[in-house]
Amino acid sequence: MSLDAARRFVVGDDSRGISRKFVGDPSLVDRALVTLATSRGLMLVGEPGTAKSLLSELIAAAVSGESTLTVQGGAATTEDQIKYSWNYALLVAEGPSTRSLVPAPMLRGMAEGKVVRFEEITRCPLEVQDSLLSLLSERVLAIPELTGPDGMVFAHAGFNVIATANTRDRGVNEMSAALKRRFNFETVFPIGDFQTELGLVEQEAAKLLAQSGVGVAPQRDVLEVLVRTFRDLREGNGTDRLSTVMSTAEAVSVAHAVGLRGWFLRGEAGTPADVVECLAGTAAKDNTDDLARLRRYLEQHAVRRKGAQWQALHQARHLLPG
Amino acid sequence: MGATFVGVRHHSPACARLVAATIEELRPAYVLIEGPADVNDRVDELLLGHELPIAIFSYDADHASWTPFCDYSPEWVALTTGRACGAEVRFIDLPAWHPAFAGRSNRYADAELRYAEVVERLCREFGVDNVDVLWDHLFEIETGDIRERLSRYFDLLRGSAQADDGDAAREEYMARWVRAAVADAGDRPVVVVTGGFHTPALKAMTAGDTEPPDALKAKATTAGHTTSPEQPQAKTPSETEWPEAPETMTAGDTTWPERPKAKTPSHTTTPAQPHATTAGDTAWPEVPKSTGASYLVPYSHQRLDAFTGYQSGMPSPEYYQRVWADGPARAADALVESVVTRLRRRGQPASTADLIAARTLADGLAGLRGHPHPARTDVLDGLVSALVSEDLTQPPPWTRRGPLLPGAHPALVEMVAALSGDRTGRLHPATPAPPLVTAVTELLTTLRLGHEGEVRLDLTEPDGLERSRVLHRLRVLAIPGFDRVSGPAAGTDPALDERWELKPSDLRVPALIEAAAFGATLEEAAGTALERRAACAGLAELAGVVFDAVLCGVTSLSATVIASLTDRVAVTADLAALGHVLGGVLALWRHDRLFGTARDPVLGAVLDASTRRILWLVEGLHGGPAPADPDRLRALVATRDAVVHADPALAVARADVAGVAGRVAADALAPPDLRGAALGLGWVLGEDEQPDVGHAAAGMAAPNVLGDWLAGLFAVAREEVLSSPSVVGVLDEIVHALTEDEFLIALPALRLAFTYFPPVERERIAGAVLAHRGVMGSARALLRTEVDPLVVAEAMALERRVDELLEGLR
Repeated sequence: MSLDAARRFVVGDDSRGISRKFVGDPSLVDRALVTLATSRGLMLVGEPGTAKSLLSELIAAAVSGESTLTVQGGAATTEDQIKYSWNYALLVAEGPSTRSLVPAPMLRGMAEGKVVRFEEITRCPLEVQDSLLSLLSERVLAIPELTGPDGMVFAHAGFNVIATANTRDRGVNEMSAALKRRFNFETVFPIGDFQTELGLVEQEAAKLLAQSGVGVAPQRDVLEVLVRTFRDLREGNGTDRLSTVMSTAEAVSVAHAVGLRGWFLRGEAGTPADVVECLAGTAAKDNTDDLARLRRYLEQHAVRRKGAQWQALHQARHLLPG
Repeated sequence: MGATFVGVRHHSPACARLVAATIEELRPAYVLIEGPADVNDRVDELLLGHELPIAIFSYDADHASWTPFCDYSPEWVALTTGRACGAEVRFIDLPAWHPAFAGRSNRYADAELRYAEVVERLCREFGVDNVDVLWDHLFEIETGDIRERLSRYFDLLRGSAQADDGDAAREEYMARWVRAAVADAGDRPVVVVTGGFHTPALKAMTAGDTEPPDALKAKATTAGHTTSPEQPQAKTPSETEWPEAPETMTAGDTTWPERPKAKTPSHTTTPAQPHATTAGDTAWPEVPKSTGASYLVPYSHQRLDAFTGYQSGMPSPEYYQRVWADGPARAADALVESVVTRLRRRGQPASTADLIAARTLADGLAGLRGHPHPARTDVLDGLVSALVSEDLTQPPPWTRRGPLLPGAHPALVEMVAALSGDRTGRLHPATPAPPLVTAVTELLTTLRLGHEGEVRLDLTEPDGLERSRVLHRLRVLAIPGFDRVSGPAAGTDPALDERWELKPSDLRVPALIEAAAFGATLEEAAGTALERRAACAGLAELAGVVFDAVLCGVTSLSATVIASLTDRVAVTADLAALGHVLGGVLALWRHDRLFGTARDPVLGAVLDASTRRILWLVEGLHGGPAPADPDRLRALVATRDAVVHADPALAVARADVAGVAGRVAADALAPPDLRGAALGLGWVLGEDEQPDVGHAAAGMAAPNVLGDWLAGLFAVAREEVLSSPSVVGVLDEIVHALTEDEFLIALPALRLAFTYFPPVERERIAGAVLAHRGVMGSARALLRTEVDPLVVAEAMALERRVDELLEGLR
C-alpha cells in the first residue's frame, strides 16, 4: 500500500467506504507512517489501554500486509525469541544449516522486508533490549554458526520495528540512550473528547455484547455515566485520580460486563447499580485507597450531577465492597 | 460596478497576498475593511510608519478590546495597498464598544470557531487534527490561485451556521457601508475585505435592491441627524438622511472626551455625484457613539499568540511572518533553525543526527500530506518525533489548539516559543497618544522621575509626598519600571522615607495607553483601577486596597470602597480576614499623619463594624482542642488595639467587650487558643482587677491544650504576663507537674506560645522562673544551652537507664 492508502486504512475515509479504525489524532498516524519509511524504528508509548497495540497492528498490517511478526516482551523474553533458535534434533543430526535454523520474528522480518512488532519492549531485561541495537543500526543480523553468505542476513527494504511500551510498568527511562536514539517516540494519549470516547465505548461494547449473545444494546445514558466517571477518575476533575489505569479499553470492558449482568441476571440492558459493582472490580482492584476514592466519588460527586442515572449511581454506592 | 468581496482569515499571509493582488488588479474607488469605524477619520495615524505589530486599543467605561495588525494581516495589506492605489480606505465594522463585542477582547478572532460543528466535519474529512492544520493544508501551503477555494470554504462554513445576535448586528452594519460605498463609487469597483465568515452574509445582504426593514426606515426619519456637514451635498434629501446607529450607548453625544465630535466619514475627496439609487438604503452609516476612545498601541507577537478560546485567531505569528516575508520553504527552514538554536542555548540535546531525522520526517510528512514544501505542522511533527525520546505528558499544542500546560517537555516549550517569536511593535513618535500618556510624561519630567536608577523620597516633605503619590499611582496601574524597594508597609510603620527603583522600558508607553481606559488623569486612572480591584477583591485584600488608595492619595475612592468594606465586614464569617482589615485600618486611623488619614471618621466606621463583627463571631466560635490559629489570634489582638486606642470611634463600650471576653474565656466549648486570648483581652481591658490567671491556667493544664491556650494568652496580653511574676510562677508549676510524656505532647504548642515573646522578654521570663524557684543563676544561660543537644539527649537516656536499673534492684 502507498503511504496515503495506509493512512486512509487507519484513519478511515468515508467517501471510499473505509471505516475509521483508530480514534486519535490523524497527525499521530502520519508521523508513525513516515517514521517507518525512515531508518528509525517507531516507539509507541502511553498509558495502558490507549490502543497502542491496536495501532501497531493496524500499521503493520497496512505496511506489510500482515501483523503476525510479533515479539511479546516480558521478563522471560530471550534473544532466541527475537532473532533465531535451532531445531536441536536437526542441529545434532546435520550440524548448523539453514534447515535446522528456526527463524524468530526479527530474522523473518529482515529477510522478508516486513514490519516487526515488539510489544511491551520495556518489560524485557535491558540486555535483551540492547540486542536490537545492531539490528536497527547496521540492519544486518549475523548468524555466526552458519558459514558463507547464509551467515549474514541483510535487512530488505520494508523492514522496520514498531515497539510499544507503557508508561506505568517500567517506563522508557531505563532504556539505554543508544537504543532510544534508534527510535522515534510517539506518545499515544487517551481520547481527549468526551463524545468521541463515548461513541467508541458504545460501538465496541455493542459489538462485544452481540458476540456474547446479549439481545439488547447498552443504554446510552448509562454509558454516558460510565464514561464520564472513567474520565473524572482518570483526569481528576475536582476529585482524586485513581492509581489504576482508567483507560477507554477498561471502560469498554466494564460496559461489556454491565450489559452481561443486566441481560443474564434480569433480562435488561444494565443499570448504574451494575456499573458500581463492576467498577469495584475494575477501578479499585485490590487497592484500598482507590476503593476509598471511588466511594468518595460516588458519594460526593455523583450526587451533584443532574440526571436520573447519576442519582441511581449515587444510590447504588453501598454496593461497593467493604 | 458592484462590490468585490474578499473573505479572509485574519492574520493569514495567503489571504493578504490575495487581497493585495485583488486591489492592485481592480484599482477600486473604495476599499472597505472590517475594522472599527470610529477610527476612519484617523486612518492617517495608522500609516505614519510604525513598526508592526501594532493594535488599535479601544475602550469605554466597561470594556476594552484590541484590533491587532501585523505585516501580513490582510486588513493591514488592504489598508496600505488601497492607499497606494489611490482608493478611499474605510473601516466598516461597529466600534469595539458596541454591545455586539461584549466579552470579546480580540476583534480579529476566528469567528467560525464559535460555530464549530462544520469545522469538525471538515477536519475529519481531510484527516487533520484541527482547523489550523486544515487551513495550512488548504491555503497557506498552496501556491496557486486560492480565490475560488477560499470562497467555497467560507460558503461551506457559513452555510451551516446561524450567526448570533452580535454577528448579525455587525453584518447588518457592514452591509450598509457596502451599499453606501457602491452607490457612491458609481461605475468604479469597490473591494470589501472582511472575515470570511461574514462574506457570504454580506454578499447576500447587498445583492439586489433590497429595501431596508420598515422599522429601520422609520427610525432613520425620526432620528433627525442634521449634524453631517461633510455629507455629499449633491444627494437627494432622502439619501442624506443618516440611519440611526443600530444601538446607541448610554452616553450622549456630548461626552466625547478629547475627541472631535463628528465621527462622520469625510469623503470630500471623492467627487460627489447624484445617483439613481432609490432608498435611504445607500446612505453612509453613522458611527455609534460612546464615552469610549481608540488609540494605537505597540503590540507583540507573543500577545497576538496569547489569545485563547473564542478569542484566538491564527496561531504562530513568527512563522507566518516568515511565510509572508520569505515564502513557506524558507519559513520552514527558519523554524527548524530557531527551535534548534533555542534548544542548544538551553543546553538541551539536539544532535545533527536528530536534525537529519527531523528533516527527513518533515519532508516525508509533506509528501504524505501532499504539500509542495513542508508546512508548519509537517516541520513541527518532524521535530517532535526526532527530538523527543520520552513519553510526553501532554499532546503537542498544535494538535489540540490551546496553550501549553505546565510541565511540558522542553522541546515543546522551545517549539512553541519559536512559533510565537519575540517581535514587538514600535509606534512612530508622532502617533497621538491618549491624554494620560502626555500627562504622565510631563509629570515624570517635572517631578524628576524620568531617569533610570534609585530614588529616595522623604515622605514628611510635601515634595517627597507628591512624588511618592505619583509613583504609587503608576504602580497601582501596573505600569512597568516603577518598583518600590522599601517604604511604609502599614499605617503603624515608622518608616518615613521610601526607596524606588526606576527602570524606563519600551513597555511603559503601551501600558500607559492601555491604562488610559481607566481615566484621563493619573489620579483618576489610579482611582478607577483601585475601584475595579476592590470590586473583585476578597475582604483581606480590601484592606490592602484601602492602604494603596492612601498611598496614592486617592480621595475619591474612600466613599465607595470604604462603604463596600463596611458592608462586607458586617456579613463576613472569616475571622482571619477581619483581623487583617481591622489591623490595617486601625493602623491608618491611629497613626497616619504622613498621609493624613489619622482620626478619619470614614475609617472609624470600618473600625466599629469590624470590631463588632469580630466580637460576634468570637462568641459563637465553638470547637474542641485544636492547634492555635495565629490569624484568629491576630484578629483578637486587633480588637484589643481598637478598643484600647480607638475608643472614640467605637460604638461598643469597653465594659461590654470585657464582658464578651470573660464569657468566652470561661466557655468550655471554645477552642483553647481563643479562651486564652479572651482571658488576655479581659485582663488588658479589666480596669482594676486582674483575672485569676492561676485558676484559669489550672483548668487548662491538660498537655494537649496548655500550649494553645498560652499562645492565645501571650498573643493578646504579652505585657501583662511579663509584668506579673506570679503568673510566670503558676505556669512554671504547671509545666513542672507534667510527666515526661505529657511534656513531649505539650512541647510543640508551648514553643509556639513562647515565640510571641522576643528573646529579651524570654530572658525576663527565665529570670522570673529562677526567682520563683529561689535559684541564683544566669537567665541568659537558660535560654541558650551551649551543650550539644545530642550530649543532653545521651545524658537523659543514660539517666533513664540508671533509673530503670535502680527500679529493678528495688
